Amino acid sequence: MNRLLGLSGVLVAFGGCIVGIGVLLAGLRSGRTQQLRLGRTYAFVVFAGSVLAVFAMQRALITRDFTVEYVFDHGSSATPLLFNVATMWSALEGSILLWGLILAGYTAAVAQKFRRRSDDPLVAWALIAMFVVGVFFFGLMLTAANPFRGVIPPVGYDGPGPNPLLQNHILMAFHPPMLYLGYVGFTVPFAFAIAALVTGRVGEGWLVETRRWTLFAWGFLTAGIVLGAWWSYEVLGWGGYWKWDPVENASFLPWLTGTAYLHSVMVQERRGMLRVWNLSLLCATFSLTILGTFLTRSGVVESVHAFSSGSVGPLLLGFFGVVVLVSLGLIGWRGDQLRSPGRIDSPVSREGAFLANNVLFAAFAFVVLLGTVFPLIVEAINGDRLSVGVPFFSRMTMPIGFALLTLMAVAPVLPWRKGTGEVLRERLWWPAWGGVATVLLALVLGATGPTVVLAFGLAGFAAGSAVRQLFLAARRQGWRGFVGRANGGMVVHLGTIMIAVAFAASTSYVRQAEVTLTPGESVTVAGHEITYIGPRTAEFDNRLEQISQIRVDGGQIYEPRLNRFRRGGMTIGTPSVRVGPTEDVYLSVTSSPDGATGELKLRVIIQPLVVWLWVGGMIMLIGTALSLFPGRRRDPLSPASAPVPVADGTATPESS
Amino acid sequence: MGVVLLGALVASIDTTPKQGASDDRLYALAVQLKCLQCVGESVGASQAPLAVQFRDEITKQMRQGRSDDEILTFFTTRYGQEVLLTPPSTGLGSLVWIIPVVGAAAALLGLIALFRRWRREADAAPEASAADESVVAAALRERHDAADGAQDADHPDSPRPEAGLSEARRSDDD
Repeated sequence: MNRLLGLSGVLVAFGGCIVGIGVLLAGLRSGRTQQLRLGRTYAFVVFAGSVLAVFAMQRALITRDFTVEYVFDHGSSATPLLFNVATMWSALEGSILLWGLILAGYTAAVAQKFRRRSDDPLVAWALIAMFVVGVFFFGLMLTAANPFRGVIPPVGYDGPGPNPLLQNHILMAFHPPMLYLGYVGFTVPFAFAIAALVTGRVGEGWLVETRRWTLFAWGFLTAGIVLGAWWSYEVLGWGGYWKWDPVENASFLPWLTGTAYLHSVMVQERRGMLRVWNLSLLCATFSLTILGTFLTRSGVVESVHAFSSGSVGPLLLGFFGVVVLVSLGLIGWRGDQLRSPGRIDSPVSREGAFLANNVLFAAFAFVVLLGTVFPLIVEAINGDRLSVGVPFFSRMTMPIGFALLTLMAVAPVLPWRKGTGEVLRERLWWPAWGGVATVLLALVLGATGPTVVLAFGLAGFAAGSAVRQLFLAARRQGWRGFVGRANGGMVVHLGTIMIAVAFAASTSYVRQAEVTLTPGESVTVAGHEITYIGPRTAEFDNRLEQISQIRVDGGQIYEPRLNRFRRGGMTIGTPSVRVGPTEDVYLSVTSSPDGATGELKLRVIIQPLVVWLWVGGMIMLIGTALSLFPGRRRDPLSPASAPVPVADGTATPESS
Repeated sequence: MGVVLLGALVASIDTTPKQGASDDRLYALAVQLKCLQCVGESVGASQAPLAVQFRDEITKQMRQGRSDDEILTFFTTRYGQEVLLTPPSTGLGSLVWIIPVVGAAAALLGLIALFRRWRREADAAPEASAADESVVAAALRERHDAADGAQDADHPDSPRPEAGLSEARRSDDD
C-alpha cells in the first residue's frame, strides 16, 4: 500500500516534470499564453506528487511497514518518533526523496510568485530548467535510488533503525532539511541564469528578480552548515566541530561560491559589469551541489557521513557533467552579448574590493575542492594513496581567511568608482583603533601566538568597520538603518567575524587530557577540577545508557555517557559539555568503566569561546533575514538611478 | 598605531617548548595522523583500537624525548604516506601545495593586467561634457517625477540595492 502510494507519487512528479517541459516548450514555440500558463499547473502537479511520495514514506516509517525496503533497512520499532521521521534523511534514497520534495516546493513557489508573468519567456525557461532538474531527481528515484523498492520481510522481523550516530542527537532532525533547503534553493537563481542565457536577456533583470531567492537559499545553507558543526561537536566526542571532511567540504563549497556571488552581484546591479563571472558563479554553485552530492553519496571519498554506496554515483557524476557542459556552452554561445559595458576605474573602490573578494572566495573554493578530490586524482594516476587533511586545509586557507578579514574591514567604507587615501584614512581611523584595542585586550587576557593575535586584531578591525556602517546608517535612518541588503550585510559580517574569532581561539588554545578516574577521585585539567562521582545506567527502547556522573569545579554534575544501541550492537559516546561564555569544558567517556576496579577513562577538553560559533551563526541568520526585509517597494520598470543634482555643479568628494 | 601593533605582536610570541610528554602535545600530533581503521577520522578523534594504539606509541616516543618530526616520520615509514594527513612536499603529491600558489599568482597577475587595460581604456575614452550630463540628469528626473513620486531623493542611502550607474556619483556613505 505504502509502496504503491509512494511510487505513484514519484511517477506523478516525474510525469509532471516531463509534461511540464513539453507544454512550456510548445507554448514558447507557438507563443500561446494559454499553454505557458499551464506551467504553473504542472509545477503544482509535481509538488503534489512529491508530497504524496514523502507522505507514503513517512507513513511506512511510522507504521513500520517493513515491506518497503528502505524501512526494512533503516527503520525499527524501537526508534523514537522524532528520529523515526528523521530516518527519511538518514540514508541515500530517503535523502533524494527529501531533495525531490524541496525541489518541487521551490518549483511551485517560483511558478506561484511569477504567475502574472507566465507568458514571459524568461519565466517559462526558468521553469523548464527547474523541471529538467526535477526529471533527473525523480528519475533517480525511479531507477538507482528507488525509495520504494519492495521486500518480503520474515515473520516477526524488526529493522535495525537508522545509523546510531544519526539517532543520537536532536539536531539530526533539523540539520539535513536546513542544508537541503539551502542546497536545493540555489536551483532557483541557477534556473533563472540559464533562462537569461537562453532568452538572451542577460541584463540585470533576472538578477534582481532572484536576489531574495538567492539570499534565502544562502541563509539556509549557512544555518545547515553551522548546525552540522554543532551536531559534530555535540555527538562525535572529540571536541571538534569542523575537520575538513569531504562531506563538510561538499556543503562548504557551494557556500563559498554562493557568498562570492552575493557580493559580485552588487557590482553587476550597479555597474552592469562581471556578467560572465556572475553567471559562472551561479552555475558553479549549482554544479557544486551536485558534485558534493556525488562525492558524499557515491562513497567515492571515504568519510563518516558517507553511509551509502550504490549505482547513483555514475548518474550524479553524469548529471554534473551535463550541467557544467550546458552552462559553459550557453555562456560561450552568448559570449558576444555578455561583454561588460563598463570598467572598474580604480582598484581602490567598492567594485575593486568586490572583485578582490571574489578572487579570494574563488581561491578558497578552489583550495577546498582540490584538497577534497586530490587523493582520488593521485590514486587514479599512479595508485599512490595519500591523505589531505586538517594540516593542509589550515595552512592553505589561513592566509585567505586573513585577507578576507582585512577586506571585510576596508571594503564597506570604500566608495564606488574611486576612493582616495584621504577618505580611507578618515573612515578607517576608528575601526583601525578598534583592531589595536582588540589586540591589546587579547594580550591582557593572556593570548599568545602572533598569528592568532593578528587574527583577533583583524577581526576587531573588521568589526569596527561593520559597526561604523551600522551606526551611521542607524543615525541617518533610524530602525531602517538595520534592514536592507547593505545594513543586514553588515550584521552578517559581524556574525562571520564572531565565528572567525571563535574558530581561531578554540583551535589555537585548546587544552586537553585523557584521565583515568575511580569513583570519588578528582583530577585537575587546565585549572578545572574534575571529580568522578560514580556510574549509573538508564534503559530506553532502543538503547542502554551507561552514564558517568562528573562534577566540574565542585559545582554542577555533568553526565557524559556511552549509549549501547540494542540493534547492531554499536556503542556511541555522548559527550557532556559545560558551556560558558569564555570557555567550554567538554567531557567525553572513551571506554566503559572497568567492571572490577570501576576505573573510568575520560577525555577532558577545554576550549575557549566555542559557544560564540553558534551565536555567530545565529547573528548571520538574523543578518540574512534583515537583508531579506524589503526596503522601499519600487516599480520594477522604473530606472534604477535616482535623479542627479548636477545642475548646481557641486560634487561629492568621491565623484571626482 | 603601527608601533603599538608591532610591539603587541612581538610580545605575543609564544615560547613554550614543543618537547616533553603532555596530553596537549599528544593530541596536537595525533590530529595530524589518519586513523587507518576508521572512515575520515584522525587518530586524535577516534576511539578505534588502532587509534588508541597509535596514541600510546606517540606517548611512548614523547617520553623518549623524540621530536615532533621524528615521531611523524616513524609512522610514515611504517604505515606509508597515507597515514599522514599532511600531503607530501615531494613528488606528484606536492602538486596539491603548488597548484593553488601558482593559481593565486596567476590570478593576481591577471587582475593587474585587467586594471591596466581598464586604465588605458579610461584614458582613451572621451570625457562626458556638461551638456551630456545635464541631458542624462534631466531624463532621469523626468522619469522619476512621472513614475516614482514616492521615492524621495533626499535619502540617497535608503535601502535601494538596485541603484544604478549615476547613483554611483554620490557618496553612499556619509
